[in-house]
Amino acid sequence: MLHVNQLSKTIDHRPIIEEIDFTWQPGEIVGLVGRNGVGKTTLFRAMTNQYVADSGQVTIDDHDLQAEPQFQQHLFFIDTQYNFMGNYRLRELPDFYALVYTNFDRDRYVKLLQHFDLQLNDQYRRLSKGMRALVNVILALTSNATYIVLDEPFDGLDVIVRENIATMVIDEVADQTKGFLISSHDLNELDGLSDRVLLLKESRLAHDYNLEDVRATAKKVQLVFKDKVIPEVLKQNSKLIRVSGRVLVVVFPEYTDELDAQLRALQPVLFEELSLTLEDLFRANLSQDTGYQMMK
Amino acid sequence: MTKHLLALFWQRYRQRFWALLAISLVMGLILALLNVTTWNLSATDTLFGNQIHRWEPYLGSANATFSLYSYWLVFVFWLGGLFLMLLDRTENFNQFLFASGYRRSVIYWTKLGMSLVGLVAVAVITTLEQYLIYWLHVPHGVTLNLAWPGVLTSWALGLAMSLGMFALSWFAALIVGQTGPLMVTIGGFTISLIGVVNIIQGLLHHWTSAQRDWLAVGLWLAASLILWVWGAGLFGRLSLEHNGEYLLFPKLRLPLYLVFVVYMTALFTINGTDLVAGAWTFVLTSLFGYGWLWRPHWLEDWRQRHA
Repeated sequence: MLHVNQLSKTIDHRPIIEEIDFTWQPGEIVGLVGRNGVGKTTLFRAMTNQYVADSGQVTIDDHDLQAEPQFQQHLFFIDTQYNFMGNYRLRELPDFYALVYTNFDRDRYVKLLQHFDLQLNDQYRRLSKGMRALVNVILALTSNATYIVLDEPFDGLDVIVRENIATMVIDEVADQTKGFLISSHDLNELDGLSDRVLLLKESRLAHDYNLEDVRATAKKVQLVFKDKVIPEVLKQNSKLIRVSGRVLVVVFPEYTDELDAQLRALQPVLFEELSLTLEDLFRANLSQDTGYQMMK
Repeated sequence: MTKHLLALFWQRYRQRFWALLAISLVMGLILALLNVTTWNLSATDTLFGNQIHRWEPYLGSANATFSLYSYWLVFVFWLGGLFLMLLDRTENFNQFLFASGYRRSVIYWTKLGMSLVGLVAVAVITTLEQYLIYWLHVPHGVTLNLAWPGVLTSWALGLAMSLGMFALSWFAALIVGQTGPLMVTIGGFTISLIGVVNIIQGLLHHWTSAQRDWLAVGLWLAASLILWVWGAGLFGRLSLEHNGEYLLFPKLRLPLYLVFVVYMTALFTINGTDLVAGAWTFVLTSLFGYGWLWRPHWLEDWRQRHA
């Protein structure tokens, strides 16, 4: 188990991350969401010792990475903004990674590059943004590290490659030996991929959602009532997601049988259940947070 | 673990070492050939003067000028220290190293050790090439009277100075996070050392040349050791969010400012004939150092208005 324990980092007298605390198990795909600049990448850099944390620590199976840095080899992270790979050809990269990640799978690396029509002789810096993101994910998968951090992995990828990567990530966690922590500012990217979502807000970990639990109780409904007055039961128990004419799309975070009965008693003209997306869940939970709604 | 780290560094630096060796060999060849063209030896001469038998660096004779340890190699070490530390920052290799799971101290000392071994190898190979050129150009009948005292002292002083220069540029590249200002800082400081050497020589005028040379060996080695150990401590605390700032360690700002002002003032005061030069230096370096290290808002605003 990886434990980020009360990790804090201040840059230029401004707290970027404060007392971040969560655990992460192999077999989990954890999403990390938050607005741009909220501290997602800083968290990753502090976790991987690129930034020296002001306080707190990261442990893997109770081994403090500061005291026993060799355990850091179980944690993989490529900084998409600042990495050394620019001057190297793709065939050279395993020479570096295999020396750090002792289980690095060179054969699979080559096969995956070929699968995505990437040439071994291509220089990393000459690749498009999307292709670089793809190489980063391939290196992550073939490192065979237990804990893999992917920072905005789908940024710049076309929909086909994105789906391929999502499938590969899901396949990787199937045997419960690897876990992924995936950051994104686009909730749709994490939909159907993450089991759990961490929400960073104002430098802090605002929520740690288990999506299965949330989905078990929440419901998204499209409603039309006879008159224009919004019923009190709706105001008290739901969050308004969208209004289109008289059509209301709302999310009930806690949908109960009693609530269902009350709504049907109002005899709405239209009452239709819609599929609940990750974005709906967050809007429902944080609808007062207008900033969060601007995330997309 | 360390074996893997050595392999990692070799993977990273080998091309640079080959390139440096190639450049050094070319420069060594040119310098050696330039030296031999000035030789004026006849068949009864010896190649080396009597100085070669004394424990002091050999400076050449009236008939054959050359050094047994080229100053070019001092520059190679200076350049090596600068770029080996600088490029890992500018090319973001530090990110990879810090996340690699190797202890920072192990990374630092392994990299330092490998850098020094590589640079000493470059120095030895270049020197062997130069000695070969000299040997090939020794006229028939001239006695090759090489003696250990001159060779060893030349190498001791040359290598100590090289290590010192390496340590200076290595340390500067560790603490300064902007490439252009780093070049200005280390270039300026290195040039200023000429003044320091003059001052020390002036103060020790009653010492023999050999005594001063051996003192220099000691000072260079002591300075190198201090800078390497201090550098190891700083490297352990290096946090990469400061990349791109003038100082990678903001806490060094005040000490650096004080050292800069005192050093420059002392340099101009001791070398000057009166105190006016020293006073002016103090005022100017105080103001310049403040503006350079703290970059106050009013100065930045003024600069932007006049840009």
